[in-house]
Amino acid sequence: MRKVGRRSVLGGTLGLAAAGTLGRPYIANAQAKTAVCWINQGFIPEEDEAMKKVCEDYMKASGNKLDYSIMPFMALNQKTISALTSGDVPDLFFEDAPSSILPQNAWDDKLVDVSDVVAPYESQLSETARLGSTFYNKAEKKRSYYLCPIKQGATPFHIWGDLVEKAGLKMSEIPKEWDGIWTYLKEAQKPLRAKGMRKVYACGLQITTVGPNDGNNVFTHFLIANGGEGIITPDGKLHTDDPKIREAAIKSVEFMTNLYKEGVVPPEALSWNDADDNNGYHEKLFVMDFDGTLSTELAMIKDKQAFFHDMQTLAPVNKNDGTPMKTQVNAGGGFIPKGAKGVEVAKDFMKYFMQPKVMNENLKGGLGRWVPAIPQTVKDDPWWLNSGLPPVTPYVTEAVLNPTLPVYEGYTPAWGQANAEQLWGQAHADVIKNGMKVADAVDKAFKRCNEIFAKVVL
Amino acid sequence: MSVTQQALAVGRGVGARPARRTWHAGLQGSEFTWAVAFAVPYALIFFAFVVYPVCYGLWLGGQSELYRQLFDDPRYLTAVVNTLIYVGVGVNLKMALAFLLSGFFMRKRWWSKALLVVFILPWATPALPAYISIHWLMNGQWGMLNNVLYLLFGIDGPVYLNDRWMGLASNIGAYIWKNMPFWTVILLAGRMAIPQELYEAAEVDGATGLHRFRHVTLPLMANLYLVCILLDTIFALGDFNSTYFVSGGGPAMSTEVLATLGIRYAFTTALPRLGVATVMTALPVLIPLVIILMRKLRIKEGQL
Amino acid sequence: MSVTTAGHRRIASPLYYRMRRYAVEAACMVLGFVIVVWSVTPIYNMVMIALDSHADIFSGQVWPENPSLESFRVVVTQDFWYLARFWHQFGNSFFVGLMTMFLTLVIGSLASFTVGRMRLRNGWMLSNAALMTYVIPASFLAIPLYRIMQIYGLTNSLWAVILSIVTFATPYAIFIFSQYGKSIPMELDESARIDGANPFQIYFRIYLPLMAPALVAVGTYALLLAWNEYLYNFLMLSTPESMTVAVALAQFLNSDESPWNYMMATAIIYALPPLILYYGFRRYMAAGLTMGGVKG
Repeated sequence: MRKVGRRSVLGGTLGLAAAGTLGRPYIANAQAKTAVCWINQGFIPEEDEAMKKVCEDYMKASGNKLDYSIMPFMALNQKTISALTSGDVPDLFFEDAPSSILPQNAWDDKLVDVSDVVAPYESQLSETARLGSTFYNKAEKKRSYYLCPIKQGATPFHIWGDLVEKAGLKMSEIPKEWDGIWTYLKEAQKPLRAKGMRKVYACGLQITTVGPNDGNNVFTHFLIANGGEGIITPDGKLHTDDPKIREAAIKSVEFMTNLYKEGVVPPEALSWNDADDNNGYHEKLFVMDFDGTLSTELAMIKDKQAFFHDMQTLAPVNKNDGTPMKTQVNAGGGFIPKGAKGVEVAKDFMKYFMQPKVMNENLKGGLGRWVPAIPQTVKDDPWWLNSGLPPVTPYVTEAVLNPTLPVYEGYTPAWGQANAEQLWGQAHADVIKNGMKVADAVDKAFKRCNEIFAKVVL
Repeated sequence: MSVTQQALAVGRGVGARPARRTWHAGLQGSEFTWAVAFAVPYALIFFAFVVYPVCYGLWLGGQSELYRQLFDDPRYLTAVVNTLIYVGVGVNLKMALAFLLSGFFMRKRWWSKALLVVFILPWATPALPAYISIHWLMNGQWGMLNNVLYLLFGIDGPVYLNDRWMGLASNIGAYIWKNMPFWTVILLAGRMAIPQELYEAAEVDGATGLHRFRHVTLPLMANLYLVCILLDTIFALGDFNSTYFVSGGGPAMSTEVLATLGIRYAFTTALPRLGVATVMTALPVLIPLVIILMRKLRIKEGQL
Repeated sequence: MSVTTAGHRRIASPLYYRMRRYAVEAACMVLGFVIVVWSVTPIYNMVMIALDSHADIFSGQVWPENPSLESFRVVVTQDFWYLARFWHQFGNSFFVGLMTMFLTLVIGSLASFTVGRMRLRNGWMLSNAALMTYVIPASFLAIPLYRIMQIYGLTNSLWAVILSIVTFATPYAIFIFSQYGKSIPMELDESARIDGANPFQIYFRIYLPLMAPALVAVGTYALLLAWNEYLYNFLMLSTPESMTVAVALAQFLNSDESPWNYMMATAIIYALPPLILYYGFRRYMAAGLTMGGVKG
């Protein structure tokens, strides 16, 4: 496997070099062998080290040069958008979860089609990774690969096991159904308060309108759990007129707002930003939350007691009707802007990176905060279920082994815009603060959602 | 009063007459070269870094379709109202306080001077961590503000950022906190430029305290004050950090201002043109402000 | 009217004066106290977080249980991966800040001198044009400026950041200098000219020294504009060699859970140089108090 991959890489480069010498003066050829890469920084140093290693290994294997820089997420996000808008671009972006940049720019025909890079591995990719890497191009009028998927991340529950026990409950007794998990754990609040934790709450439910991500993410999972996963289909069509979907949305908003009204969610949650719930969780100001990737656990890896014993990671199991629940998975990897000078090298690098072994080593190096886009690697490598890092096992089970869905942003840019308007958080606020009926709040959100979708016609 | 008025009249006349007599008319030869040479650095900056980007910016936000999309967004109207409040209250309240405080810092007590250094701390503090600190300060559950309230009075304070008006007030407060020292220092420099004789003359005239303030300080500072208000209005319109980091635009997008809405479009939704278009809708306010500023630049002598 | 009130006061007893002075002093002290509380509270919160260990940052104490300078040690010794190049970035920030300050003061004061003092024909157009910079708020010119820096070959150069900030600071500097310059009597320039000074000497020997308070105010403004600037730092700089503290601080926003104590310690250390600089130049500012009454 590995040999074939490397040989193809080398072959490709040689062919490239030959074509270069024939067609262009020598200087231009030398330039064509470099690619400028912008890579986003990880949450833990290990991720960056793993990225550097991949880049260095590729340079050794191919003889090409990668001019790479690793930048903080916020800076990279703004740079990426500025670059794509102004046309002054690097050759490769490598980002964790560019869930609004990709659909919008693929739509606007600003990215290079990478189907040829993905093709050799397409059959090995998970269905979710395939769906999450293809985007609709308005100019070409079709969907195609604009992301070389390397990594994916999911959203698990993070639970303070010690608080659960202290409240007299048992981790092993947590029900399998989605609503049941919340209903069971919310009972922890009373006993904990009785034991002197005056300000503790049970559920770190991000019922927020600030976000930008958490509120939308948690609502979508409620929607899925209530059978509403078909709200939007891979063809980019919105199905809010389906009574089943509407019912699922109503159930979700009702359940979430009721938790808040019962007082088991911190009142502050209505205006949390994406960091507030993590801060509160780490402080043990509430028993559990449901938040993207393993960063919650890995941030405390130095606190042995917390990391290895107290914190528990739990993957959602069943929907409320008892059938297995698909959770949403966010894809990350490399994408190439139009106008890049080093497209060939960038593609070559991605071909190298997509080799299951390279991909696997890189993600293991990042302590499993992201899991491979090729499921077979998880099955082949015992590390994933036996890493000695307690949160990795449930996490990889959720993100790779259990059924998954891609995030809906990939289906159409309209969904990203609806999320940016925090439509679902708005619906919660309408119920909680404005006393609106749940059904009315849902209909209001649906109406606005349809208006947004009407403008983005596939 | 008469002496003061005379002094003021003299003050006004000081620069005007001799200037016209000498430099203006006699700007020839080497002096003209000097004058042009002095103007060159800024002219270069202007042509290299203003003309093109501003035109580019106007072009980016120049499609009418963007505005249709913008006006359809329910957040837009809220953002306009909030911007008016944010700028109206934020700028005027801050400038009024800065003006009064600049008077306070003119006092020659040692501790007034020491206080000035404490006072400019917010200005020197990096913006992002400072606003994040204020966001935490205001947190209803674990924020320091409510903790102090609880310790001192045994009461649980409200969840500030769950309420539109308290959220907006927090953003404005944070903006004032961060920027007031700067305007105070500018106005302080302005006060220092008032010739001491004017005060002495007013003193001879028997004008003290409020009188001196009304008849000497106020007329001389009026123009500078107005200019500061206008400039700060322009700056405040483009400021997104305080809203972005203190209330985050919440609850339910009710404290969003144009600048944060624009930044969200540009960098969260990856629609940079729509982001530029958002602030462009402030042009009907911005352009008159700029024109007034241009006129203010050519005001009569003797005013700061 | 004023004469009678003043006359009335003149015959008031010394006790009245003393009481009145005490009252004013007491009021000022109360005001001073309010100013301190207002200015320091958010910074106190930052210091508290910096002194705290990561685990109890949000525990709701008003003073940390086990205050320690550990976070500051980590920052100073670059003992955390986000901060591995802290001093290098600090140096870059320093360079950007000082250069921005210097260029803003030089360009701004030269332009204001030529417009306000030398009355260059049509010179007013310069200062009017300068205001065009503010037609679109700075944060929304980011993308055009990003593009233009590439055209000028300044990609990933500290000069790209410096020039962007100078662009936004100079119109303001010209403005304040022009306003302030009106208080300096023209007769000074005139007599110097008669003594044979050329315009540059007048600018350097008379104009600049008399402008001290405005120079200190605007210089601090330009420095802090550069110091507090994020967007342009993010956009223009890409490699570890060129990054500034602003980019380093942004790393802490990388993740939803960051060592906030390190972030706050970094911020506090980062805030010190402008303060020290301002403190150092403060006496030039105070010089304005005595210089305000330059004899015409």
